Amino acid sequence: MQRSPNDLSQLQATMRAIELACSSIQMMVNPAEAEATILSFCQSPQPYQACQYIIENSQMPNARFQAATAIRDAAIRELEFSAAEKETFLAEVKQATLGIHGADVQFIGINFLESLVSEFSLSTSTTMVLPTEFHDQCQKSMELEYLKAFYCWARDAALSMTNKILDSDSAVPETKASTAALRLMLQILNWDFRYSKNGVEGAKGRKNVFSARVGNDNNLSRRSECTVVQPGPAWHEVLISSGHISWLLSFYRALRKKFSCEGFWLDCPLAVSARKLIVQFCSLKGDIFHSDNGQMQENHLLQLLSGIIEWVNPPEAVSKAIESGKSESEMLDGCRALLSIATVTTPVVFDQLLKSISSFGTLTLLSALMCEVLKVLIVSNAEEETWSWVARDLLLDTWTALLVPIESGGKTGLLPAEGRNAAANVFSLIVESELKAASASACSDDVDTDYFQASVSAMDERLSSYALIGRAAIDITIPLLTNLFNERVARLHQGRGITDPTVTLEELYSMLLIIGHVLADEGDGETPLVPKAIQTQHVASGESEKHPVVVLSSSILNFAKQSLDPEMRASIFSPRLMEAIAWFLARWSSTYLMPPEETGENSGSGYDNNHMVQSLCSSKALLIFGEHNQGKSVLDLVVHIATTTLVFYPGEKDLQALTCYHLLHALVRRRNVCVHLVALDSWHHLANAFANERLLFTLYSAHQRSLAQTLVVSASGMRNPDASNQYVRDLMGHMTNYLVELSSKNDLKIVAQQPDVILSVSCLLERLRGAARATEPRTQKAIYEMGSTVMNSILIFLEVYKHEFAVVYLLLKFVVDWVDGQIIYLEAQETAGVVNFCMRLLQLYSSHNIGKISLSLSSSLLSEAKTEKYKDLRALLQLLANLCSKDLVDFSSDSTETPGTNISQVVYFGLCIVIPLISLDLLKYPKLCRDFFSLLSHLLEVYPEMVAQLNDEAFSHVLGTLDFGLHHQDTEVVDMCLRALKALASYHYKETSVGKVGLGARAAGSKDQSGQMSEGIFSQFLRTLLHLVLFEDYSIDLVSAAADALLPLILCEQALYQRLGNELIERQVNPAFKSRLANALQSLTSSNQLSFTLDRMNYQRFRKNLNHFLVEVRGFLRMI
Amino acid sequence: MSDEEHHFESKADAGASKTYPQQAGTIRKNGYIVIKNRPCKVVEVSTSKTGKHGHAKCHFVGIDIFNGKKQEDIVPSSHNCDVPHVTRTDYQLIDISEDGFVSLLTDSGGTKDDLRLPTDESLLSQIKDGFAEGKDLVVTVMSSMGEEQICALKDIGPKN
Repeated sequence: MQRSPNDLSQLQATMRAIELACSSIQMMVNPAEAEATILSFCQSPQPYQACQYIIENSQMPNARFQAATAIRDAAIRELEFSAAEKETFLAEVKQATLGIHGADVQFIGINFLESLVSEFSLSTSTTMVLPTEFHDQCQKSMELEYLKAFYCWARDAALSMTNKILDSDSAVPETKASTAALRLMLQILNWDFRYSKNGVEGAKGRKNVFSARVGNDNNLSRRSECTVVQPGPAWHEVLISSGHISWLLSFYRALRKKFSCEGFWLDCPLAVSARKLIVQFCSLKGDIFHSDNGQMQENHLLQLLSGIIEWVNPPEAVSKAIESGKSESEMLDGCRALLSIATVTTPVVFDQLLKSISSFGTLTLLSALMCEVLKVLIVSNAEEETWSWVARDLLLDTWTALLVPIESGGKTGLLPAEGRNAAANVFSLIVESELKAASASACSDDVDTDYFQASVSAMDERLSSYALIGRAAIDITIPLLTNLFNERVARLHQGRGITDPTVTLEELYSMLLIIGHVLADEGDGETPLVPKAIQTQHVASGESEKHPVVVLSSSILNFAKQSLDPEMRASIFSPRLMEAIAWFLARWSSTYLMPPEETGENSGSGYDNNHMVQSLCSSKALLIFGEHNQGKSVLDLVVHIATTTLVFYPGEKDLQALTCYHLLHALVRRRNVCVHLVALDSWHHLANAFANERLLFTLYSAHQRSLAQTLVVSASGMRNPDASNQYVRDLMGHMTNYLVELSSKNDLKIVAQQPDVILSVSCLLERLRGAARATEPRTQKAIYEMGSTVMNSILIFLEVYKHEFAVVYLLLKFVVDWVDGQIIYLEAQETAGVVNFCMRLLQLYSSHNIGKISLSLSSSLLSEAKTEKYKDLRALLQLLANLCSKDLVDFSSDSTETPGTNISQVVYFGLCIVIPLISLDLLKYPKLCRDFFSLLSHLLEVYPEMVAQLNDEAFSHVLGTLDFGLHHQDTEVVDMCLRALKALASYHYKETSVGKVGLGARAAGSKDQSGQMSEGIFSQFLRTLLHLVLFEDYSIDLVSAAADALLPLILCEQALYQRLGNELIERQVNPAFKSRLANALQSLTSSNQLSFTLDRMNYQRFRKNLNHFLVEVRGFLRMI
Repeated sequence: MSDEEHHFESKADAGASKTYPQQAGTIRKNGYIVIKNRPCKVVEVSTSKTGKHGHAKCHFVGIDIFNGKKQEDIVPSSHNCDVPHVTRTDYQLIDISEDGFVSLLTDSGGTKDDLRLPTDESLLSQIKDGFAEGKDLVVTVMSSMGEEQICALKDIGPKN
């Protein structure tokens, strides 16, 4: 490039200034001024020419360094270049990167590329106030035009330095640059490739223009350390066929050998970067490999594995070295590499890889490695996280990656036989290490206050991985578990009364958790099947009794049965052990106890089990716990054990919670089990004790609720609806009678405040609530009677207990749940009664609470009072919402003939009672907020005409909250507000277009006292919504809802819309954007034959239009 | 069932007892409990075990309902705790006297004049201000274990 002499002198001046500044910094002469000079240079616009000149001409390394830094900063600052500038500039960077200007500048050059790449991958970009669209284009052009070039520069840079680094004895400047080059390559491989996937850029690849931070979902895999790299076929040459990888491996190997006596080397940046890059190569996948049945990928992985193997093999030697002080980082990276390989291959391929170069398969190596790590864990028994913890978790993830696809894919080909043995070996060591950990922690005094569930779920992920490994070889692992379990049980019996059983108890506890995971899956509310791995594995013996799963299950059931004996219970069955038993029984029963396929016999029970039947037939042996085998007696045993935990473990809340929420719920989940339950004496006893005895009042009240629910649900097992209803009446009758009698006492006011009465009332209300929640068509009648019997008492209690917040809340919640279950079934007259009752309840509550101020010295008591209020209000909103549902779903027989209750009036009336109690402060509670808006939007949607009838205060309150809700961060809340807006605006538009008033003055706007014209509501919302749609962050899911609200708003306020559109266009400075915006606005309201009607068709068209509009303009309107 | 009904009957000797025993495990957050002979509102309950395989115990944090002080207690969850008898009664506020007493109208039409205003400034001013503005105020008086205090007030509007 030719330069005029004038330019040249200027450039020289700049160079001298910078050189001077650099040297004065170096000599500490007036550093502040020098720094200021350099800073202003760095921040000057377009300093590229000057920088280039300095780099090319200056003799001072420092000055060249500063110049390179300045380019970096400026380039990031000023991303807009002309094409020619870009070319020159990049050529400059390339030269720097390749080391033309020395190692220092090379380092900067590589660093610059690194920041450039990270700037362009949106998730790491900084705020630059540039249109989103610009970023998007940059990203695309980066990926398609530059990434590969950058990669090659970095590779060539690294290559060129290889010899220098290998030959020198100490750290040379090249080391730094080389490290940076490797890091850059790693970073490029971390790029979220979206355009180069074989040219197929589907809807998935399209960028979301609606929120700035999308994050790349592909990378959010469960194992954060392992992301699959799919750069596409264009990269084949660079990465695969160029011998690049073998260079990298041998480079690392050579360095490793050279520094083998210096332990620190493994952790130096160069080694770390090289290893990371190697590990990253293990995750390559997709079109980059030719479609040759995976052969090319296998070769690639084999090549890597043969380099990696020396990091981890032989495991014993590696772990010994680490224990005696060697850095563990190489070994851990080896584990990470195995994890990556496992993620991209199948178990068989995984195992085969190593076989071609050694006498054992990869699975055997994995198993040996894991065993070694576990041995270290067993010995060290350390509290804090050590390398062996990390390694164990990595290797467990590797097993999971290998075994999980088998589970879900349903393939019969499990691990190869050798692999099964490997898995069995690992599993036995796992159990050993867990037992060791259990016995070590048994007597530790740090009493874990964790609730059982918390401790299980914390371990859950690990236990699930264990289970996968265990299930890979059930013929070995399950007998092993049986032996270990029986051994411990025998030990307990021998030592009874002689030795302290704590250690053995803890071991049993731990074993029950492991066994539970191996044998059965978590149902998550559904009926879990016998795990596929257990179903399909061929087990030698044909008889049921000898099936390993049956043997193990029977052992545990027999052991659990002993807890029924009072003496045994006292000496062996600690609350914690019982927790594990209850948890195990719940999990086990869901899968093995009376499995559902047998319902085929009582055909017509509504179950569609055909596919289950087929899949289960393969494991006939496991049907031994079915309805026609031992099922009934096992069920009876489980009920006895459950009752025992409720009755003989007073105050053991955690245990009882497990029994109530897990074990008993699991039993009543399936109707075929209920049929047998209600026929059992043990179940009858439990129900009777609950209904008529004082004993179970000592249960925690929430547990009583759950128990009531369970018992009522079991009524579905009765032979017909009448019997079911009678069952519920017998169960609940006594309780409702007590409440009615109490409420009619003359001295109620005095008696009611006694703590024992409060306790009884609270417990009974919880029980009633539990029963109400169990409402099913079959028992609806009895539960309606139950509630209507106490309706009057409820109102009396609400008055008497108005100061007793806890009781008030229970009263409200009971009504909420009862109405929820009942309302859709009620006949007109019943509905009127219930609605009337609810309104009285609302009024009474409101009269107690409006204008009330709690006084207390304690701030925590005051905030408790606020929370209580929030909970009450939430219950009231739910009640109103439940009432609303009557208008949507109605199963009553006479709904058409008899004049029903006007639900809309009732609910609006209710809302007017509730609204004054709700402050914006209370709307900060997310759940209350959601409930409030769902009710509000429902009302506005279904009964928009009622809005016109609201008084001013209520009206402005409603609109204020709508505006608040539109800007809420909760997508659902915004969605509900948009629906409400749509309803209001479309109602108004439709009404006015046929000459009616619609919302009248509310829509027209008005003059306030000072004569200021205030806008009508639709104008306000049109502004707000347009701004939201164009400029703010929101979820893409909201676009349709926003379109639906925007269309009627535009139609209501066409003049304003025109004005706003023109303002928007005027504000654009860039003429290209200006015309694009004008066109887009034009087609928003005209394309797709959009008309002025509000029918479904038109809404759909407008949705489409808005979508196109936003995709077109948001990119340049939005700045990030 | 009739022979079992007595199980639910409560002893109707109202007000005779200041406290009632209740199993520790059944006491919930927001309930009441006596700690160190003071009536408290429970603001936190947690359970733990005495040793891994021991029995559960409850750890209560309570706030003294009168003086707002925090109290803590640990009780085996199968044991009984004392639960205070707390009553709250509404009275209409008739007058605030110079010497710091209030005059309250009882349900039966009499007056109750033995209750002092709270000494705490902010509580005091909330009552005094409301009264001074001429609002019709109903105060709620909480009493338990021989102590009484105004715990809430409510504006019932200009007319009765």
